[in-house]
Amino acid sequence: MEYHRGEMVYEYIWVLIIVAVVAGFSAAMAYYGFIRNLNPSCEAYTIEEAKARGIDLTPGVREVGPGIYEVTVEAAQFVFIPMEIKLKDPVRVTFRVYSRDVIHGIHVVGTSINVMVFPGYVAEFVWEPPKNAKGSYLFICHEYCGVGHHLMRGTLLIERSSLLLDGGDFSGVR
Amino acid sequence: MESGRVYTFREDFYAKVTIAIAFVALLLGGIFGVLQVASRTPYFPNLYEPLARIGLSNSPHELYYRGLTAHGVLLAIVLTTFYIVGLSAYLTPRVIGVNIKPRLLSISLIVMVTGTILAAIAILAGWANVLYTFYLPLIAHPLFYLGAALLILGSWVLAAGVFIAYLEWRRANPDSAIPLPFFGMLATYIVWIMATTPLVFIVLKNHIPASILGSNTDVLESRLYFWWFGHALVYFWLLPAITLWYYYVPKALGVPLFSDTMAKVSFSIFILASTPVGTHHQLTDPGINPYVKYLQTVLTLVVATPSMLTAFNIIATLERGVRARGGGGLLGWLLKLPWRDPAFTGLILALIAFGSGGISGIINGSYQLNNVVHNTVWIVGHFHTTVGTAVALSFMAYTYVLLRDLYGRKLILESLSLTVPTLWFIGMTLFSIGYYIAGLYGSPRRTSDVTYAGLMPNEWVVPMQIAAIGAFIFATGGLIFLVQFFGSLASGSRITLAQPAVVMMNPHSPGKATILDRISILVIVAVVIVIIAYSGALYELYIARGLSPVPPVTP
Repeated sequence: MEYHRGEMVYEYIWVLIIVAVVAGFSAAMAYYGFIRNLNPSCEAYTIEEAKARGIDLTPGVREVGPGIYEVTVEAAQFVFIPMEIKLKDPVRVTFRVYSRDVIHGIHVVGTSINVMVFPGYVAEFVWEPPKNAKGSYLFICHEYCGVGHHLMRGTLLIERSSLLLDGGDFSGVR
Repeated sequence: MESGRVYTFREDFYAKVTIAIAFVALLLGGIFGVLQVASRTPYFPNLYEPLARIGLSNSPHELYYRGLTAHGVLLAIVLTTFYIVGLSAYLTPRVIGVNIKPRLLSISLIVMVTGTILAAIAILAGWANVLYTFYLPLIAHPLFYLGAALLILGSWVLAAGVFIAYLEWRRANPDSAIPLPFFGMLATYIVWIMATTPLVFIVLKNHIPASILGSNTDVLESRLYFWWFGHALVYFWLLPAITLWYYYVPKALGVPLFSDTMAKVSFSIFILASTPVGTHHQLTDPGINPYVKYLQTVLTLVVATPSMLTAFNIIATLERGVRARGGGGLLGWLLKLPWRDPAFTGLILALIAFGSGGISGIINGSYQLNNVVHNTVWIVGHFHTTVGTAVALSFMAYTYVLLRDLYGRKLILESLSLTVPTLWFIGMTLFSIGYYIAGLYGSPRRTSDVTYAGLMPNEWVVPMQIAAIGAFIFATGGLIFLVQFFGSLASGSRITLAQPAVVMMNPHSPGKATILDRISILVIVAVVIVIIAYSGALYELYIARGLSPVPPVTP
């Protein structure tokens, strides 16, 4: 069976569509990644380097300025320390997460926080919570870490005062 | 092309054994799949509890992860590898008319079977609860790594046999184009060698010393090499399935493939771009530069293009084939396809499922969007439509042909054949849609109990239950298939097979060799791309930051 040459045009149109899709997606990802600074990656340094730089890795929540938080989380078989993270009117939260033993992960359900947690490394990332983020969020370990993996959980509590300086939205819905 | 007869009984023995082992793996892995989907779905019975109570383990959770390891290894590694080596041994003499060296066939079979038995012992005994990704510093018994290594080594021996057969054919036919099904097999093994080399390196460097000597290892290093292997592995599964689509669909319709050139272009892009994409599994890993991740994300989109070409090529072949026989209308021709043939129906449903799997894959691999779905059940939905349907259903479907042409048996319960692809497809559709939705709400994968002491969001419940019902539906289809397969081997009446003479399977294709048949150039370019794509990550790991090794831990 012979095909007409003219029918090849469909093949070329399809190839053009494919090239356009790949170019379009790549451009969109580059725009959001490198111009809007929305990168999934986060900085990592080794535990050794953290010590050398004098970074305090004691687990806990510290408010270093109004709404500016530093949260250090230690993950271990099969617990997060601390299990409860309380933030009041957070604007900018720097997380430092590390593991004491095996690979863990932290996913704050309902937010974009989703990072792998490695022993030997500190994962550092900044989260700017949306203004309508409030109430309690479940966070879980999302990488298999052993027989008690299903036990690893915690709660992120975001409290909003009624006196938001920027007059932000109170509806909680956008 | 020489016109002698080729005897295929050695290859056929090899293929009969390996494909039967593949389906034993499907049976065992499927049982664990059913147990775990029931146990992890909210408000469904935990089937591991009674098993723990009768003394198999002191914890149903330990049994769950043991079963999950077995499910992953048996289905993603044993089923696929054994079927693929069997299929390539079956196709090679039939497509290019050259035998695989008998000694290589025997060595490959013995080594692969030994390795599989060793790894299976370690997993079923509970000495290797590390899941099929075996991330360090969790360690398994050395037997697990040894078994896996032998399984891979055995497949390398068969790969060597296929490459030697190719060179022999090339010497006799210096100017001929490579027949398409064999081109697909060659692409499969090139990808496999490129994939497994970094894996073997890291298992020798990190996993085995950690397991035997308790050495410290660097987590990020192990993961980088694992995923260097891990995504190319996906194309090792997929390329034989695509080969079957290209090979069998035109045959079932009695027309040539729409475009051989387009098919070879897609296999070539697979060779070029299937390896340097591994860090898209590590987008949420700290410690890999955003530019490396972005580059590999773009390459991931590039490796999606041959799938789009394939979809076009097969669908165009379908339409041409039927229209040539008088089917008409905008969609009316669809009814005239040979849907009564379970091999055809299975392959086409597998292709359709691959559409859903491919699109969800682009979402996983998309730099920013991955953050929403990483390590949620979305991913589980994704790989059950891809390897679980596009690949597994294709293999099952083509087995209906192999039962007759390879095993020489008449199919038993023939009236049930069409229920297999249908139930599998419907079940997988429910399963994947349920898990896509639950995954978007953050429901985690790889967790034996997602209720989190009552903190589980309500949005997870219904989609996960729908997914579980889907799983029971496709498991039923799989069970019918296994009864047919093993039943036909045991009690199907024999069909006398003629020893095949050498025929070119794709009569209009092999003309003169073109640039697309220059495999060595492709391989060189592929290696260069891999080096470019990984050099940034390796520089950061070894030189810019330095390793940070930690001691091994038991699960």
